[in-house]
Amino acid sequence: MHMADALLSPAVGGTMLAVTAGLTAYSARKLKESPDESRIPLMGVLGAFIFAAQMINFSIPATGSSGHLGGGMILAILLGPYAAFLVLASVLVVQALFFADGGILALGCNIFNLAFFPCFVAYPFIYRKIVGDSPSRKKILLGAILSAVAGLQLGAFSVVLETVASGISELPFRTFLLLMQPIHLAIGIVEGIVTGAVVTFVWKARPEVLESAARNTPLPGVSLRKVLAGLALAAIFTGGALSWFASTYPDGLEWSMAKTAGTEELEAPAERIHTALAALQEKLAFLPDYGFRPSPAGKDSQPEAAAAGENEGKWPAVDPATTVSGLVGGALTLTLAGGLGILLRGAVSRRK
Amino acid sequence: MPTSGCSLDENPGFFSRGGVDPRAKWLVTFAFLLVVTSFGKYEISRLTPLVLYPVSLTAVSCVPVTKLLRRVLVALPFVLFVGLFNPLFDREILFKVWGLSISGGWISFVSITFRSLLAVAAAVVLAMTTPFDRLCIGLEKMGVPRVLVTQLQFLYRYLSLLQEEAVRMVRAHALRARGNRPKIRVSSAASMIGFLLLRSLDRATRIYRSMLVRGFDGEVRLMKPLRFAWSRDGIFVGFWALYFLTVRFVDVPGRLFGWVLGR
Amino acid sequence: MSHHFLEVRDLWVAYPDGTEALRGLSFRLEHGEAVGLVGANGAGKSTTLLALAGLINPCRGSVNLGGTVLSKQTVGEIRRRIGFLFQDPDDQLFMPTVFDDVAFGPLNQGLTAEEVEERVRTALEQVGARHLAERPAHRLSGGEKRSVAIATVLSMIPDVLIMDEPSASLDPRGRRLLIGLLKSFTHTRLVATHDLDLVLEVCPRTIVLSGGRVEADGETARIFQDRTLLERCGLEPPLCLQGMPR
Repeated sequence: MHMADALLSPAVGGTMLAVTAGLTAYSARKLKESPDESRIPLMGVLGAFIFAAQMINFSIPATGSSGHLGGGMILAILLGPYAAFLVLASVLVVQALFFADGGILALGCNIFNLAFFPCFVAYPFIYRKIVGDSPSRKKILLGAILSAVAGLQLGAFSVVLETVASGISELPFRTFLLLMQPIHLAIGIVEGIVTGAVVTFVWKARPEVLESAARNTPLPGVSLRKVLAGLALAAIFTGGALSWFASTYPDGLEWSMAKTAGTEELEAPAERIHTALAALQEKLAFLPDYGFRPSPAGKDSQPEAAAAGENEGKWPAVDPATTVSGLVGGALTLTLAGGLGILLRGAVSRRK
Repeated sequence: MPTSGCSLDENPGFFSRGGVDPRAKWLVTFAFLLVVTSFGKYEISRLTPLVLYPVSLTAVSCVPVTKLLRRVLVALPFVLFVGLFNPLFDREILFKVWGLSISGGWISFVSITFRSLLAVAAAVVLAMTTPFDRLCIGLEKMGVPRVLVTQLQFLYRYLSLLQEEAVRMVRAHALRARGNRPKIRVSSAASMIGFLLLRSLDRATRIYRSMLVRGFDGEVRLMKPLRFAWSRDGIFVGFWALYFLTVRFVDVPGRLFGWVLGR
Repeated sequence: MSHHFLEVRDLWVAYPDGTEALRGLSFRLEHGEAVGLVGANGAGKSTTLLALAGLINPCRGSVNLGGTVLSKQTVGEIRRRIGFLFQDPDDQLFMPTVFDDVAFGPLNQGLTAEEVEERVRTALEQVGARHLAERPAHRLSGGEKRSVAIATVLSMIPDVLIMDEPSASLDPRGRRLLIGLLKSFTHTRLVATHDLDLVLEVCPRTIVLSGGRVEADGETARIFQDRTLLERCGLEPPLCLQGMPR
């Protein structure tokens, strides 16, 4: 469920980073308002606890597959929304850096998808409303399941939105939604059950833990709505501005650059290339179906490229010649880069 | 934990500790990712020059390549899964080669895979060539709230310790359950996780006590000056910024191809 | 120096569930003394130590460090003068690097950067861990962790060192190093431990606790040869004395 950089566009990534940065600053400020020294080691250890708990893989009955705890709701219940948000953010940063789970640019998305909804939506508006000040086994379980499901559904929906808005994946919105939501409904139910069981365990073994957690965790309250509205406005504004910029300039630039580069390369050495490649073609059947057209047809390919470019902002450098030059050039570049790397490594180890 | 002798904390390299300012590394990493993600979905070859970044950092920093590759490949499955839908939905043939019609979907699939490798490589390289606490201090000096930075440091400190506790628990369970690879039931998992949680809470209390007796007053103070050396860090940022911009706006592989065949 | 004494007078501590952990504890440590605190599990050793550091509030009695009585107002000052070593070094090493951990105390004392560096260097030298300064805490061996934990406390230049099971889970060599270190200190030392052989080597005086009370308080050698007393308190003579003829 973690967003990867590979499916992300800079506009979406940047927007979500801005939103998450705002939420982080907000949470940090809220925590400062009610200082509690013991919170620092507690948050740190609980963050590590999440990783440890995720190592306990259990088998999900009736499916034969295994799962592990997400942990967002447990953190929210023990620490309250602001501290839990920051702990989850730290968990995601470490996951991105050390476990290649989610990208660095995608951190904005991931923190929003996986931390915001459990802490600021599911916990205050579902779990607390159900469990309130007098927990019972049933209420804890119900609250845990409903809030886990809600948090994960909202998170999954965000993933779909972010992926589709980025435009790298071809998955249509509806198909992706139909894939993600049911799966995460199931995951949410399991997460809720395990969360409920763990919270009940703690409640039975050390009721004072839950009591003091409930006492010390302030709920966002009315101001949350204002904050959410503000964030939404900021997101729309930044997202809109960035996408406009992204679509107007780089694509346009891309198009004109590709067009220029493509034609430049075809025109000047075209004759030389043609003779060389024709010879190669016969000998090695190298890219046989490719028409590397000489200069006269080079002029033909121009209107093709222009037509393609005019048609719909589809990348016109799908002009075959440029693609091939790209492929071969790409291979060359890779070899160069790799070779440089080996050279560097040799130089460094010799110096040691 | 056995070290390969190449542990970051023991063998400083030019780009490792005492080396490039972590702020510079964060900036360059972000720039790299922005460039990678800003390419159109059908771009493949134009991404290739970007390989130089992770490769060169790895080469200069005494990081074992196999370790890097392993971490990079671990991230592939999910991205590939989503990426595989592209050929399904984008069937418009973009060009033919060797008698095969290649649709845009397949091109973008390869592009996605390539992007994924690059993005993960950048993250892994950042993590493996910089001591974590330097990364954290870099973040703090760039404006990340102190409470989150402290949180990252504490998390990292106790991560392996708590994971070991979890491993011990799972092992103890395995020794007492039936079967070769016994599956943990949800109820058992819940009590194991519950125990882990209680022990974590106790540990947090003990840590807090030891902080108190050493005069803790709510603020975790660090003595960590960061010095941005324009000669070293400026060049680092400048070089890569220029390189990324060039790669972004100039079709390097295409020109390379042309240059090679043109001579 | 009379102002470095540590005195406990009629200390009573009870836990939230009502069980009494300490029942009228009284003793006094003079400057520079090395005293062992022994007793069976549950006798009240850890509770005593926590009360001395102001981490547990007694319901009756007082703790007096060199004339300053422990109270809510003075707890900060008392803690500055007590160096407390906990049982699990992992609980004490919570900063990113060893240097940060050893610097934690002095930084909280408000010293300047140069002073802090000096304190850290000296403390690490004292425990022979100078080469570990830039290591992250979780990459140390058990013995190294113990040494560094001691350094984190030494860097505050305390008047009194209070240690809870310092030799636990140390290998023989680590234990030997620890004993050497403890013998070299001139601070007032209170060592709560099951390791009676260590007490015999390091502490000329021993306090025996049982059921939250002081059962014996005197010369270590004499107490450890009193089998009846030891058995009554759930203890045995130290291993090195067990072969001795009666």
